[in-house]
Amino acid sequence: MTLIGTSVPRREDERLLAGKGSFLADQAQGAYHVVFVRSDIAHGDLRQIDVSAAQEAPGVVGVFTAGQLGLRDNYIALLHEPDPEFVAATAFTMVDQRLAVMADRRVHYVGQIVAAVVASDRYLAEDAAELVNVGYAALPVVVEMEDALDAEAPVLHEHLSSNEAASLSFSFGDPDSARAQAAVTVAETYRIGRHGAVPLECRGVLTRLGHRTGEVDVWTSTQVPHMVRRGICAATGWTTDEVRVHVPDVGGGFGTKANVYPEEILVPLLARLTGRDLVWVEDRQEHLTAAAQGRDQVHHCVLSVDAEGRILALEDDFLVNIGAGSLWVAGIVANTAIHLLGPYRVPAARVGGRGIFTNKAVVAQYRGAGRPEASFVLERSLDAAARRLGLTNVEIRRRNLLTAQDLPYPRPLPYRDGVPIVYDGGDYRACLDAALDLLPVGVVAQEQAAHPELLIGHGVGCYLEATGRGPYESAQLTVTPQGRIEVMTGAASAGQGHETSFAQVAAESLALPMEAVRVLPTDTGSLAHGIGTFASRSAVLAGNAVAQTAAQLVDAGRRRYARATGADPAEVGYREGVFQAPDRDPAGWRELARLGGPGEALEGEPPLRAASMYRCRTVTWTMGVHATVVGVHPGTGIARVLRYAVAHEGGVEINPLVVEGQVLGGVAQGLGGTLYEEFRYGADGGPRSTTFAEYGLPGASEVPEVQIRHLGVPTDNPLGVRGAGESGTIAVAAAVAAAIDAATGCTHVTATPIAPRMVKSALDAA
Amino acid sequence: MTDHVIRLAVNDEQIEATVPARLTLADFLRDRLGLTGTHLGCEHGVCGACTVLVDERSVRACITLAVQVDGCSITTVEGLTGPLADRLRAAFSRRHGLQCGFCTPGFLVTATEMIENDSRPKPLTADHVRETLSGNTCRCTGYQGIVQAVLDAEAPDHITG
Ligand code: FES
Ligand code: FES
Repeated sequence: MTLIGTSVPRREDERLLAGKGSFLADQAQGAYHVVFVRSDIAHGDLRQIDVSAAQEAPGVVGVFTAGQLGLRDNYIALLHEPDPEFVAATAFTMVDQRLAVMADRRVHYVGQIVAAVVASDRYLAEDAAELVNVGYAALPVVVEMEDALDAEAPVLHEHLSSNEAASLSFSFGDPDSARAQAAVTVAETYRIGRHGAVPLECRGVLTRLGHRTGEVDVWTSTQVPHMVRRGICAATGWTTDEVRVHVPDVGGGFGTKANVYPEEILVPLLARLTGRDLVWVEDRQEHLTAAAQGRDQVHHCVLSVDAEGRILALEDDFLVNIGAGSLWVAGIVANTAIHLLGPYRVPAARVGGRGIFTNKAVVAQYRGAGRPEASFVLERSLDAAARRLGLTNVEIRRRNLLTAQDLPYPRPLPYRDGVPIVYDGGDYRACLDAALDLLPVGVVAQEQAAHPELLIGHGVGCYLEATGRGPYESAQLTVTPQGRIEVMTGAASAGQGHETSFAQVAAESLALPMEAVRVLPTDTGSLAHGIGTFASRSAVLAGNAVAQTAAQLVDAGRRRYARATGADPAEVGYREGVFQAPDRDPAGWRELARLGGPGEALEGEPPLRAASMYRCRTVTWTMGVHATVVGVHPGTGIARVLRYAVAHEGGVEINPLVVEGQVLGGVAQGLGGTLYEEFRYGADGGPRSTTFAEYGLPGASEVPEVQIRHLGVPTDNPLGVRGAGESGTIAVAAAVAAAIDAATGCTHVTATPIAPRMVKSALDAA
Repeated sequence: MTDHVIRLAVNDEQIEATVPARLTLADFLRDRLGLTGTHLGCEHGVCGACTVLVDERSVRACITLAVQVDGCSITTVEGLTGPLADRLRAAFSRRHGLQCGFCTPGFLVTATEMIENDSRPKPLTADHVRETLSGNTCRCTGYQGIVQAVLDAEAPDHITG
């Protein structure tokens, strides 16, 4: 049986179903609690912080403000630098961001940390936190990007000269003459609301002090343990030998946990300052206030097409509201810009984008990170053009989607890694056909009969997703004394089933049964380097790293067998876990492991181990089409998604069940951002969506059954895999908006979340 | 803060404890008894991750105080045993009804109540299952696998692929 491509039951499931998962808060026994005092104003200078009453409160070990921390740098180090080729091709600029780990002079958003209370339990720590008295001198607040760019706007970060955090622009072809020749030009402003990952498990950090070793062990609910280690070391001045970051079971991440946070620096620091093991477990209100959010973009898009609906030029100018800051601003702005080109023949384009500081919460790369926004803008523009030309939404896409004749399709632009873009797909138009095969337009009549009270419409949305972003991921395989293979990668799991998928890759690569392999949770002390899980990269980067390292482990085994037996290494064969050379006894991994033991042939040899980094040349592209049928209630404007289908051109699937799960879950999150979820802010910068009552996640009755068709198109990496973690999310807003427009016949949805009152007033006016 | 003595059964074990009046049932189970399978996703009664059975009815342990369950019998995810629990767990795994698994204990408890203690006619329909699960949030799976798993576990003879 080949393991790759098989829906092997997940190894994670048994413990999780038994209630024996080991999430961050589950490991907190014996630790004292940290509770943070957070700013309740969006912008202001700190005047005084009175901690005297809190210091005296029961159970309190200490109350700490920024001045007492002794941080080397009171801000989080940059996570990534844009590639020079990309910078040159897109005139990319980015300012230095210095958001305080703990505010020392000024606060920039509600929820920013101004003090920390350490107490013997959470209840007492919260009591004491309420006694901390913070005095502010309020400053003018900027919530919306248009206001941040106003010439009169206050500059929010003192070391900068404007509120612009990043910018890029590029063009190719001749958009001006294309526009002049166009049969139809559609111009519109689109807004994508601020919503985010909101994993069901909030964040949390636990630190235990190794009193004998002087080391600090940190567990954090993260997707990127090595980045967290770097953030801790950069801010504190500690070396990587002093701090070891471990990943517990993580209750969902989706990008908000692919970030480095002040709490991840402060909890270990406070542990050292107080000499105690400490835990901070975020509560939901903190999460909805202070954890990184996403989206929040405005686009001005102009699409020019000829009389047949063929795209002549795309022009787009967009802004991303990154709030008080984003360590990922380069990624978000670049992703948005590149993905605006979509899976179509686009002969000319002019794109400009900027990241803008405001006084909202910080932003990270929420599932898709610019791709859903770009898809919404381009797909909505295509729908608008189709309407003007009297074409169907399907037909205009048929005329523009790249086909087998066009692919691979180069673009006159480097990707973010500096490598010229070439879409490596199979036939994108065939993917549209597959989606329509799953959910034909004719289904509308059936659904209309089933729901006579609703207006019914069909919509499609296409996307193209760069996946498997490099530059590398690392893997390490170690043979235990019992001959079992232990695997560790830098790509921490947050529910994606890595313990199973990577075991499949390792077992298949080593020709061993699954039972012979175990995937260990990532920790930075055991694995020196790593990047992490985000941007649909783990299967591609870490999966290939495991396969590559497995081959190296076999070579190492072969050499050891040869040393022990005196055989010529070139003559050592390896089959199904057994090494053998002519005229010698065979040996399995367990026998090889034993050879290093006392009195054995290779006494003193260290355990067999291989480690390597898999580097990819550039990204691989996953394309897909979403189709949906939506019912709109004419009395309320409320939309209900009745049917949903996704066809996608993925690569080899390591575990089809896991891949399908990624798509299903992605659709649900896409529906949330399209219809229900929004981080709302008042004019004073105060967050208005700080409970699950106000920030509405979709439930079992809101998410329909989703049909999926996987069109496998292998790609140019050893496993032939493409990323799929974001495929489910990207085109949801586009497809649902189109279906609502088709249902009502009188709307052109230009903003998400799609407000029922907007739909209703359009219906009332029609 | 006054302390109270409570006596209760947790997963069939008799327990007596002294607790402050403000201690939540969830914190009591997790921190005092080490039953960390009961998860906290919101601590304000919306997400259902903390669902436990109190005298066989589902209750949100995050907005229930330990003192309120004095004299009651509590079942947490760790205490779900027997043929139905086995079928539910197997079906959740087979149908990929969990990814990160953080919501899962709450869903298992709610599903147990739905199948064992709900008076609605059986076999359940997908719509009924969805409606009954609407008080539990899952951020990972899109619910499809969860709904299928509950249907499978309720009517084991009707399992299709
Ligand atoms: S934690 Fe109790 S309902 Fe969310
Ligand atoms: S499996 Fe992650 S929240 Fe449900």
